[in-house]
Amino acid sequence: MDSLSFRKLVRTLISGALLGGLAGCGSLQKDINVPLPAYANQLVVECYLENGRTPRLAVTESVPYLDDGQAAAAGSYLLKLPNGQNVQLPTDVAAKLTLPNGRTMNLVFRPGLDAATGKYYTHIGTGPITARAGQQFALDAQDQRGRHVTGTTVVPTFIPIDSVKYKFNTQTDTSRRAYFMTKWTDPGATTDFYRLMLHKGRPSNNSETDNDIRDRLFNGQSYAQVTRYRFRPYDTITATLYHVDSLYFDFRQSVRDARNANGNPFSQPSAIHNTVQGGIGVFTVLVKDQKVLILK
Amino acid sequence: MSQIALRNSVLISLLVVLLPGVSLGQVRHILSGIVRAADGTALPGATVAVPALGLGTATETDGTYQLDLPAGPQQVVVSFVGYTSQTAEVKLTRNQHYNFTLAASQSELGEVVVQGQQSLKEKLTTTQMGVEHLSIREAKLLPALFGEVDILKTLQLKPGVQSGGEGSSGLFVRGGSSDQNLILLDNVLVYNPNHLFGLFSVFNSDAVQSVDLYKAGFPAQYGGRLSSVVDVKLREGDRQKFTTSGGIGLISSRLTFEGPINKGKGSFLVSGRRTYFDIFTRALNRANEGKEDYSPIPDYYFYDFNAKANYSLGEKDQLFFTGYLGRDIFGFTSPNGFKSNFTWGNTLGVLRWQHVFSPRLTLNTSAAVTTYKYDLNNSIDQFSFTLGSTILDYTQRADLDYVPNERHTIKVGAMLTEHNFGVGRLQRSSQDNSVNFGADVNYTGQEAGLYASDNFKASDKLQLEGGLRFSGFRSGTNTYGGIEPRASARYSLTDKVALKGSYALMYQYVHLVSNSGASLPTDIWYPSRLSVKPERSQQVSTGASFLLGDGKYLLTNEVYYKWARNVIDFKDGAQIFANNDLDSQFLFGRGWAYGNELYLEKKTGKTTGWIGYTLAWTKRNFPPQLGTTGINGGRDFYPNYDRRHNLNVVVLHQLNARINLTASFVFTSGAPTTLPLGRFALQDIYQGGIQAVPIYPDRNSYRLIPYHRLDLGVVYKLRPSRIGGDRDLTFSIYNAYNRRNAYFIYFDQTRDKATDKVTGYAARQVSLFPFIPSVTYNFRF
Repeated sequence: MDSLSFRKLVRTLISGALLGGLAGCGSLQKDINVPLPAYANQLVVECYLENGRTPRLAVTESVPYLDDGQAAAAGSYLLKLPNGQNVQLPTDVAAKLTLPNGRTMNLVFRPGLDAATGKYYTHIGTGPITARAGQQFALDAQDQRGRHVTGTTVVPTFIPIDSVKYKFNTQTDTSRRAYFMTKWTDPGATTDFYRLMLHKGRPSNNSETDNDIRDRLFNGQSYAQVTRYRFRPYDTITATLYHVDSLYFDFRQSVRDARNANGNPFSQPSAIHNTVQGGIGVFTVLVKDQKVLILK
Repeated sequence: MSQIALRNSVLISLLVVLLPGVSLGQVRHILSGIVRAADGTALPGATVAVPALGLGTATETDGTYQLDLPAGPQQVVVSFVGYTSQTAEVKLTRNQHYNFTLAASQSELGEVVVQGQQSLKEKLTTTQMGVEHLSIREAKLLPALFGEVDILKTLQLKPGVQSGGEGSSGLFVRGGSSDQNLILLDNVLVYNPNHLFGLFSVFNSDAVQSVDLYKAGFPAQYGGRLSSVVDVKLREGDRQKFTTSGGIGLISSRLTFEGPINKGKGSFLVSGRRTYFDIFTRALNRANEGKEDYSPIPDYYFYDFNAKANYSLGEKDQLFFTGYLGRDIFGFTSPNGFKSNFTWGNTLGVLRWQHVFSPRLTLNTSAAVTTYKYDLNNSIDQFSFTLGSTILDYTQRADLDYVPNERHTIKVGAMLTEHNFGVGRLQRSSQDNSVNFGADVNYTGQEAGLYASDNFKASDKLQLEGGLRFSGFRSGTNTYGGIEPRASARYSLTDKVALKGSYALMYQYVHLVSNSGASLPTDIWYPSRLSVKPERSQQVSTGASFLLGDGKYLLTNEVYYKWARNVIDFKDGAQIFANNDLDSQFLFGRGWAYGNELYLEKKTGKTTGWIGYTLAWTKRNFPPQLGTTGINGGRDFYPNYDRRHNLNVVVLHQLNARINLTASFVFTSGAPTTLPLGRFALQDIYQGGIQAVPIYPDRNSYRLIPYHRLDLGVVYKLRPSRIGGDRDLTFSIYNAYNRRNAYFIYFDQTRDKATDKVTGYAARQVSLFPFIPSVTYNFRF
């Protein structure tokens, strides 16, 4: 039921009403000139630590929204992505990670592409890290232009997936589809936050569903997240359950609210709730459980 | 207002209330009764006058009047725009009841003669400020979006009233938000006055008699909302004969049936309306059934029913009943087994007993119930998800009208409401019980009001109205209350110039939880509690009215200043959906609104209409609190319904006996909106395409382009059919010059058409409604 959740239903209704008005009137949309005030670029960090993996950090810069992206700021490099997008990479950022034992690990500026995740990074650690529940890590990234981003994060506990299952509908033709259910048990003593992603095929592919869930309504109970009928026979489904902290949950919510507000006149824009200070971005530890099923 | 000024206003109000006993040393009697049209419909606003004495009054909303006159023979003249005046010789030897029935002045044009509640002369002399009256005939003549006559949208053409956006029937009155309007249907609260996210109001124009909008100087009998009172009265039904009327429009049809009860001892009216989007979408779905790429369009429709009946139990007693039921229904069943049903709407009913103790003393007592609820049910296989919210009120009230002499009109009353808030009801379950959890957050609250007011004619030139309202609210262990003084005054400099002033303090104890610019059915009503204090506003206004052109025109200028505290908004990124801890999501702040409204109107002659211009400012301030930086760091900001300039021009012209031409023009300053200033790239856990995330600066720091629109209409009266009756065709053109008004702006990537690669970013403006013609067929027989 995730994919046609209530919020989406309301959005569908609103969109329907709007589309009714827009029907046959393609010219109801036009490009306009919007004079925006000056915007000072900020450092943006994105760093997801995982137990047993070498840390990778992506440091980029925010830019004025309508910037054409053709010119890099002094001290930055313009990364041209295959789809034509440009991303500003500052080349003068020194970054380090403080480990739970108090030692620091320098994150070296060595831009590259992570083959496992398909993601770009700008800085990489010197070796794999060990992250156990309750331990704290700290991030420090500073450029030579006076911008300084810091952040700390605590390793969440591991929450296993109890079971995954699927069921096909009664259709026999090409509209035969299955729903997918992921079930786990929430600990009762704590307020917990989760992110559940379902991927078809490899997890580095685009996710099929992506839900942020808090335990407000099922604290201490078993919980099952059910999709609608959407998967075809012989799809390989990977369910990944992340147990996340409240800061990362808030960051995700604020990113979604901000993105929704750009193009939805009924949505209230949100400022980004960063998990770091002095800039924009997220620094967190990912603790996940994963199950794979082939739908037959 | 300072405490001293406030105390003085309270004392003045008390004095006014306690000063009715003026002895006149002359034998006088009360002449009272009802003024009706030939079909038995009560006529509010008709003039009942005794020219020889220079005395007169206007009938109330139920057509009743009272005149305190010297004993002896009196010549009474009753008049109303669009009807033939009637003169009666009444010999007053005691308090006497006398009813008048007026015939339409041009029966053929009865349906299209423009009427006003009050003549311009009466508007000049009343103490009430900031009131706009709309007769349903006026609303029916004006052009409307999709031909759907909407009284709330017509009210938006009055000065000081803003809409929530293109096509929306939301009302924002003198800087108040849409939940600060007390919307009453025959004195019963309507919690959600909208269908389809505010595109249409719940009021069926066939069933409505009239609407009064109070923007300031609120009479003491009204309370519970900060910014306005919208008092909608239903028609009572034809007392003489059975009549059927209705209309067939582009998106809905209406049917009304009315007639006498027991040979005119009473009357009834039932009226229904239903849209037919779903009929078209089902046909479309059937036509495309089986196509693999086709996604069925969900069913959507709304309907509403109104019923009203009245019955005379004798000369002194009369019973009234009003009922309303409206629902919006959204249903979806996918071919592969997913079902979703979403319904929402209001239900209300009220039974009122009117007892006339004497022509000087009338008591109305009523018992009412009103509820608004929404229910969402999703199911797939054995799993189900239900969500809902309800507010249910039971209200009892008593209102006593007392006219001790011709200088005083006293109103005293009390009301008590039991609120039941079903704030959130959520359940996820499965048939095998493998999933079963939910939440059910309920509150109760009791709201009470006690009021007294006196309209005191101190002299021919000076008229005062003072009132006091004591209001209170209890929810759990939290009790709130306050004194709400109300005062207005009118001083006539000449018989064509009047100066007016008013003051009103209002409390609001229930609040709408809405974090959206639209009226969503999922908006929740929430009580004042420990951390949610009652909202409070005060408003002073002053103005001058000038009768011009031999009484054909009334020019009014009003200036107002309103300030409010404990106004409610939400934390940045507030989670108000299925949240059982909503208290933690609110922010509390202050608000101000001030402005000047200039209004020129003409109500008689072949060409009627009005021009209104408003210059206004609305501001809000939410300081840092609850671990947040407030809104915009605690700096003042303009809410999205702030408009600096607003010009409305409405013209209705009777071309001949069959054709009426109408036009309305609206110009407003652009609405404040929030646009992103910067963006950053976010990859997320897995590479799924880099997302551009907007970075928003202060709320509402940008303004859309000014809004303007011209609507045109023609009402063409057809010849009577073989079975008789009236018929007309109403043509409307919405947005006649096809203005591309800005509904919202968003930023998007631009792409190379050949390679589909991103080439940059652009701002795009979206408009909602282009030039939209429509036609409606109306009938009555």
